Formats: sequence, structure tokens, C-alpha cells
Amino acid sequence: MQPTNQVRDLRQRRHTLLVALALAGFGVVVVGLLVLQVVRQEHYAALSKENWVRLEVLRAPRGAIFDRHGELLADSAPSFSIVFRPFPAESAQRAREVRSTDWLARVSTLVQLDSAEVRSRVRFANRSGQSAVLRRDAPFAVLAAIEESRGELAGIEVQVEPLRHYPNGTLAAHLLGYAGEIGAEELEKRADRGYRPGDLIGRTGVERTYEDLLRGSDGAEYVVVNAMGRRVAQPREVPSRVDPEAGHDLVLTLDLRVQRALEEVLAGVARGAAVALDPRDGGILGLVSRPAFDPNEFSHGLSRARWRVLSEGGANPLLDRAIQGLYPPGSTFKLVSMTAALRGGVAVPQTRLAPCPGGMNYGGRWFACWEKRGHGSLDLVGALQHSCDVFFYQLGLRLGLPRLEQAARDYGLGAPTGVDLPQERGGLVPGAAYYDRRWGAGRWRSGLLLNLAIGQGELLLTPLQLALLTAEVAHDGRPLRPHLVQRVVGRPEFRPPRPAQPGVQLPAASWDAVHQAMELVVTAGTAGAARVPGLRVAGKTGTAQNPHGQDHALFVCYAPAEDPVIALAFVVENSGHGGSVAAPMAGQVLRRLFLPDSLQRPWPRAAAADSARRAARDSAEAPRGD
Amino acid sequence: MATRWRLRLPPLDLPLAVAALGLTAIGLLVVFSATSVPGAHHGLWTRQLVWAACALAAAWIVAGIHYRVYDALAWPLYGVSLLLLVLVLVMGSSAMGARRWLDLGPLRFQPSEIAKIATVLALARWFDNPRRDLRRFLHWLPPLLFTLAPFALVAKEPDLGTSLSFPAILVAMYFWAGMPAGQLLLGLTPVFAAGAYLLMRSQPGGQWFVLPVVAAIITLWAVARPRLHAVLVVVLLNVAVCTVLPRVVDHLSVYQLRRIETFLDPQGDRYGAGYQVIQSQIAIGSGGVFGKGYLKGTQKALAFLPMRHTDFIFSVVGEELGLGGALTVVLLYALLVLRGWRLALVARSGFASLLAAGLVTALFYQVLVNMLMTIGWAPVTGLPLPLISYGGTALIVNGIQIGLLQNVALRRQES
Repeated sequence: MQPTNQVRDLRQRRHTLLVALALAGFGVVVVGLLVLQVVRQEHYAALSKENWVRLEVLRAPRGAIFDRHGELLADSAPSFSIVFRPFPAESAQRAREVRSTDWLARVSTLVQLDSAEVRSRVRFANRSGQSAVLRRDAPFAVLAAIEESRGELAGIEVQVEPLRHYPNGTLAAHLLGYAGEIGAEELEKRADRGYRPGDLIGRTGVERTYEDLLRGSDGAEYVVVNAMGRRVAQPREVPSRVDPEAGHDLVLTLDLRVQRALEEVLAGVARGAAVALDPRDGGILGLVSRPAFDPNEFSHGLSRARWRVLSEGGANPLLDRAIQGLYPPGSTFKLVSMTAALRGGVAVPQTRLAPCPGGMNYGGRWFACWEKRGHGSLDLVGALQHSCDVFFYQLGLRLGLPRLEQAARDYGLGAPTGVDLPQERGGLVPGAAYYDRRWGAGRWRSGLLLNLAIGQGELLLTPLQLALLTAEVAHDGRPLRPHLVQRVVGRPEFRPPRPAQPGVQLPAASWDAVHQAMELVVTAGTAGAARVPGLRVAGKTGTAQNPHGQDHALFVCYAPAEDPVIALAFVVENSGHGGSVAAPMAGQVLRRLFLPDSLQRPWPRAAAADSARRAARDSAEAPRGD
Repeated sequence: MATRWRLRLPPLDLPLAVAALGLTAIGLLVVFSATSVPGAHHGLWTRQLVWAACALAAAWIVAGIHYRVYDALAWPLYGVSLLLLVLVLVMGSSAMGARRWLDLGPLRFQPSEIAKIATVLALARWFDNPRRDLRRFLHWLPPLLFTLAPFALVAKEPDLGTSLSFPAILVAMYFWAGMPAGQLLLGLTPVFAAGAYLLMRSQPGGQWFVLPVVAAIITLWAVARPRLHAVLVVVLLNVAVCTVLPRVVDHLSVYQLRRIETFLDPQGDRYGAGYQVIQSQIAIGSGGVFGKGYLKGTQKALAFLPMRHTDFIFSVVGEELGLGGALTVVLLYALLVLRGWRLALVARSGFASLLAAGLVTALFYQVLVNMLMTIGWAPVTGLPLPLISYGGTALIVNGIQIGLLQNVALRRQES
């Protein structure tokens, strides 16, 4: 189509405008070129000849980690690294020097690094224009040697850098985690968050969960250095210095005294875990996994062989068994069965079922009680006290799978608790859907209920979930969310998240029966070894059958029974009975915490006036009134 | 009798051809210099030579086919290019935190480059219709949507520099298709408002960013006198941007914010980009009027100048060939752009005229942003310099662009 005259006129005018736009655009470029190449030519020529602008990264110190009383758990201490700095443009002679084999040999012996490795790092530095770390946290002897031969070794400098330090070594290693140098893959993934090669990044534990808060942000500064690599002046026309912003400090719910006590009683354990929770708010007071590792090792950089030992060795010290180890809960699960039965109206505390002759026949199979001689006739409270399997077999059959599963889920079992630690596992609480999937719809029988009711069968829980269950039972089934960070310095709005599960509601009288039964377990039942003079302890033992070897010993408890301030869970792999192996450990920990000895004050008990359990009951009853 | 032996060239636009060939030749010279430093990637130059030959062939073929064919194929081409952009997000290969390339066996290319041409074709086809009245909502909205799609897909990669060439093309083609200037500027005010806000939010007193926007609207209203309801819509849009955007930004988490900042400054942190810009400025500035001589650049030699053979190739020109060399390059580009706009003016077919205008705008935008970046007057956005920077797809796509322009030149008398 031919453009009309009107359109042609319009285009003529607009064409003039476009030409003007093009001339203006290219005009700006020409002005820019004139400014750089004519007006300021001498300045830039000088920069390119003698001086060279270098970017210095000012590393932000990583936030420190404290326990609830302000005891230091992790901080960053200054350390000395040996770095290579690339050369200014025109010092070709010095660049040649660096490529010489003599230089390479001397440097690699000094920093005790393979010469091929030194060569590749130097090459990278030259290409990127940024300095390369040859040796992190160099010992004094190496620093002294570098200082001595400083004039002769072109480009080698000592630089102060923050190094992650864990003053307590292996103590609380799993919950703190460790921070290591960022890898190439992660660097690519987090490129948009300003990570640089050589940056530290939290890999496990709190260091990882709170990486974003702990990290802070690096600052940067341009400096002009001369051909010797010395700082000359602050250039005027470069962006001004950006100060580093330190990471946030974290205050944990952890109590170092509880942690120490747990660490001590587990000192001789080859594999196992222990968790202490504050049943009033779900704060983790202590968390131990065995075997342990020393996070400081990672700060210095780990040899490949050592890494293999830590990550692949049979015992796998890096595995946090407290949140990643899955164990059959054994008889500790009878707490769930009992409260589910009370809630479902299947039984009352005084209910008596058929007496225990040492086992029972069901579906043509013999289901044994752990007590071969039998328990005789027991009521519900007595059955928990003596951990009578036969009573709970019958209870399980009356209860049915859905109600049992629902109770476990209402406590938050069978799914990750949402604790602020990475890679937590959720365990397994099987329900009808699970069995349908595994055996086919309807192709499984209620016999498996017998095993579930006593905590065997497919059930799998983490030690943290055991502690959670105990803490919730201690305070009348109120749901809790286990958490480690209490406070973030500089972030007053930080709050630990709320629990996702509803908890288990029972009349106060039913809870009293549960608590009474658990106290009887310690005073006159299977856990006499957990008794502490002058302290009312309530607990439950468990022995988890292990098809691969000796049984795992389990014990959960809370204290003081009248107003619980601590809930404990112990799992000791391949060691025997809960009552004889795990319960004494709990007794030892509680004695350390609550009994006065010559060295330290007893752990504070809550004053009767601010009894958390009473407060919870009051608030629970208030809405019922209207 | 001498006339019998005169070489009979087709009616190509000779200045345009000379400018394009000259820039490509300079590009080959400078890429050779930039890749000839010890330890650099060998063999890149020979590869670039092959690409240049391919680009020339592509230009030849594209110019030979009548533009009516492209007119007819505009929509299918546009659809295919969108599909490629989606593919690149799903299965593209990434580098430096962005997915921009598609791997096709030995070939590796950026669909965003192809999408630019396809979008120009689609827009030219849409606007080339005597019944179009760009004052009417249903006539100007569809092209906006056609452009937003590739824009959003390329921005998602993320490739801010390239993605912004889509709106640049759209605005130029609205303008060339005859949209009243006042309406065009009014329509752009919410974009100015958002841009002004993002630029000024970190500065103290940044909330006053609304003032210039308000002033612009009032002035435009007074000058252009558009219909009242159009003004109301624009004012509402501005108010929406000014009230919603700060709230949205305030509610974003630290990391979402950092993502946006990264988007605005794609090299991640301004120190990473700042380093390149300073090195580039030193290289150009130290070149002076006469330059350090071909192959004698020092900034480039020790590899202090990053991306010297791709995005920052212009600083090698400035360092080695000096002001003279740099001005020659600028003049050749100016010649290219002015001839292109002249073609848009003289072409008698509406489609051809719009096609030329869109293609030249894309080139102009890219040249300007890249050059301003190397002299430190524009943010680092990772756009190569057309016809000069090292890179296979880019060069072939540039060849196709030039070929399409010559196509219009060859048939400028047809209507």
C-alpha cells in the first residue's frame, strides 16, 4: 500500500526527530570518549603504567552463637592467611618472575602446598585480578618465614581473615554444625546472593539453617597499589568504601550445663543420641549425637582422607542421630497408646483387661510379653508402670489403627517436627494408607496392631521426636515446636515458629493418671535406675528390637514431676535394655542438674507459683467456661 | 563502450553495506588482538572468521527473498521464537547464574537474539494496516502484549540488557506507525515513575520521585491535549505505581530485594561490575588520541580487562586504536543507523518501512548501551557490540538484520 501524503508528512517530521536522537546518542558517546581519552588521558595513562586499581574485599565477620546464658559456642577469630596478589599492568618483569620454577618451588614449600596447585591458583588470580588464598590460618612458623623472605617473593602477602572458631570443640557439634569454604556448585547456585570463591558457608546444624542471618554482608574498597603491590593512595573517582556488615549473633535455647551433662553421660557410648527439651516452650536444652566430630577441623580446611573418614566411615560422625537417626520407639510408644485409649474412650485409668500370663494368642500366633512369668491382672496405670505388653496388645485391638495413628500424628510424630536444623527426618507412623500401599488394599490384618501398640513393627521415630512426645505429655498434651534459636541479636521481631500439630486433649484427671503411671515407672517400675533423691521423676523405658544386632536401649523422662522443666530422651544403639542402660544415664544427668554438690548450684526449678502446667490448665479451662 | 563493462550491482544501499562490512572487518581485527594474549583462548579468532563468512552468507540469502515472504511468515516465526525462549528457560545451559543459551549438538545459540527479529516482523505486520488507529485501545494494546511476552521471558533468564531492547523496539515502532507523540509519552509515564522510584528509593528524600512524574504528566496534558478518559487512566496508573510499588518493595524479604537489585545490576554486586568498568575506563583513557598501537594494549595484555573479546571489546578499540579508532567505529555505526532510518522513510511499502525502523532501533539501542557501558556511563548489562564482539549467533543475527535492511533497500520502489 502506498503511504498517503498525510502519512508521508508525518514520517518526514518524525524522521528528522529520529535523526536528531541518533546524533544525540552518538554525541554522548563522543563526549565520553573525549573526556576519557583527551581530558583525562594523562591520569588514566598513569594508572595503567605505574599504578593499578585493586578491589579489596572486606570480609564481614560471621555472627557469634551463644547459649541461653550467654556462654560462647561459636565465634570468628582473626587468623592469618597467605595470599598471592596479581601484578599491575606494566610490571611484566615481576609477572615473569612469578612464572619461574624457582619462585614456584619456594612458595610451595613455604605454604606446604603442591606446586601445581599453587600454579593454578596464581593463574586464576592473574586472570581475575583478585587475590588468591594459598594457605588459610597459617601457623606462626610459616608466617615468620614469609616475613623473612618478603622482599624476594613477589606477590606473596599475609592477610588477616576471620576464621570460624568453636571454643568447646566437639561439644554440641551436631547442633552447631560447621562452616566450610563454599564449593563451585553452590557458588553457581548462590551467585545472585553475592557469594565469592573462598567464602565460608554453613554446611550443617544451626550454621546452615541460619546461614542467611549469620553471614552478614561483605564490604569492599578500591585501593591503588604500586608495582610492588603496596597501597599508595585512595583513588578519587572510584566508588567509595562499603563497610562490611557483621552477621547477626544468635542466642540459642541451649543450656550449656545440660549439654555438658548429656555429653558426659554419653561419653562412653559408641552410637546413640540424647535430647533435652524444655517442655514449657519446646526449646532444645541439649542435643548430643554419638560419635561426634570437631567442627574446628573444617575451619582449617580438611584433607580429603580426613573428610572420607568423617563422612563415609561406618560410624558416620557427621550424621546427627538425634534428628536423622530412626529407631523403633519400643515401649516408650505406650505413652501414645495409653493417651489414645483414654481419648478414644476405649479405657479409663482403672480399666482392667484379661490378665497377662506372659503372652497371648492372636490369629494363631503367640505374642509374648517381655515378662515371661506374666504380670497377672493390671489396670491401665499398672500396665504402663510395668510396661505389660499383653495389656497393650489388647488395648491396641480395642483402639484400632486409625485412632492410634491419629494420636501419634497429633503429637507431631511421623513427620519432621520442624526444628530449625537441616535435614531432619520425619520417621514413620504407619496408617491404613501405608499398609494398603505396601501390601495391597485390604491384604493386611489387624495383627500388626498388636506390634504397633507396644512400639514395634514398622514404627520409626527420631530421638528428638521421643523427647517431643515426652515434653508434650509432661504438659497435658499441649503441642510444641522444638527449636534451637531463642533470639536473634538485632532482629527483635524474630519468633520461633508455632507448632503445626494440634496436640492431644484429655480431661485433667486422665492426664493425672498418665503422669502418676510414669512416676510409678521410676519409683516402682522398670526404671528404678533413674531415681533421684528429693526429685520426682516421671519416665518410660523402651527396648527396641533390632534385627541387625543387639537391642537399642531407650528411655524418656521429665522432671520435676509436679512441674516439669526438662524432658529427656536417650537412645543407645546396640546396648540392651532401656531400664538398665538408658535410665541410669537419665538419673545421672538429673542428679548433676538438680542436686546441690560442692561445685555448683543446682539447676533452677520453677517456683511453684508460676507452675507452667497449672497455667496451661487454667488457660485451657477458661474458654470452656463460656 | 566503457559502459558495457560497468559492474552492474543490484540497487543495494551502498553506504549501509560499507558501514556493515567495515565494522565487521574492524571487529575481526580487534577480536584477533583481544584473543592473541598469551594464555588466552586460542582458535577463537579462526572461529570468528568462519562465523563472519556465515553471517555474510546469511545476509545474502535473507536479502534475496522478497520481504513479502517474511510478512506472510511473521506470526509463525514469532510463535517459534517464543517457544525457543520457553525452551531456554526449561532446558537451557547456564553460565554466571543465567540461562541464555540453547545447546543444539555442536551449535549453541541465544534465542533472545532471534526473538528480537521475530518481534520486529510481527509488530510490522500488525501496524501495517490502513485501518489501524493507534489512538484506540484495542489497536494499541495487542502490540504491547506481543512485546511483553518475549520481554518477560528474556528478563526471566535473566538478561536485563537484551530484554530491554524489546520495549525500545516497541516504542520506536509505535512512534513510526504514527501514534500521537503526546499519547506515547503519557503512556510511558508509569514506566518512568517506576524507574524513578527504583533508582531513588535508596537515596534520602527519594520519595520526591513523584514530583518530576507529576510535572511530566501535567506538561504532556497541556501540550498534547489527549482525551480526558485517557488522561484519567494514565493518572490512575501512575498513582497505582506510586502507591503499590513502595509497599511491594517494603514487604519483600532481604533476599527478594537483593534479587531485584541483582536484576537491575546483573553482575551481582556493583563491585564485581565496578571492577570491570574501572579497568575498561583505564584501558580507553590510557589509549589517548593515537592509541597504544594495534596488538600493543597493556591492560588487555595481562588480562586485567575481563570479557575483553565480548562485551568490553570497545575498550580494546579505545586502548589500541585511540580516539581515532573509536571515533571511526562510532561514525560507522552512525552511518548505519542514519541510512537505516532513511530506508524507513523512503520505503514505499508500509511493512518494509516499519521493518526497517524496528531493526535499526534494535541495533541503535544495543550499540548505544554497550558503548556507554564501556566508558562507564551506563550500567553493566552484558550486551555485546553488534558486528564487532566475538560470538557466533550474535554475528549471524546481525548479518540477518543487515540482510533484511538491504532487502528493504533492494525493493524500496515497490509498494
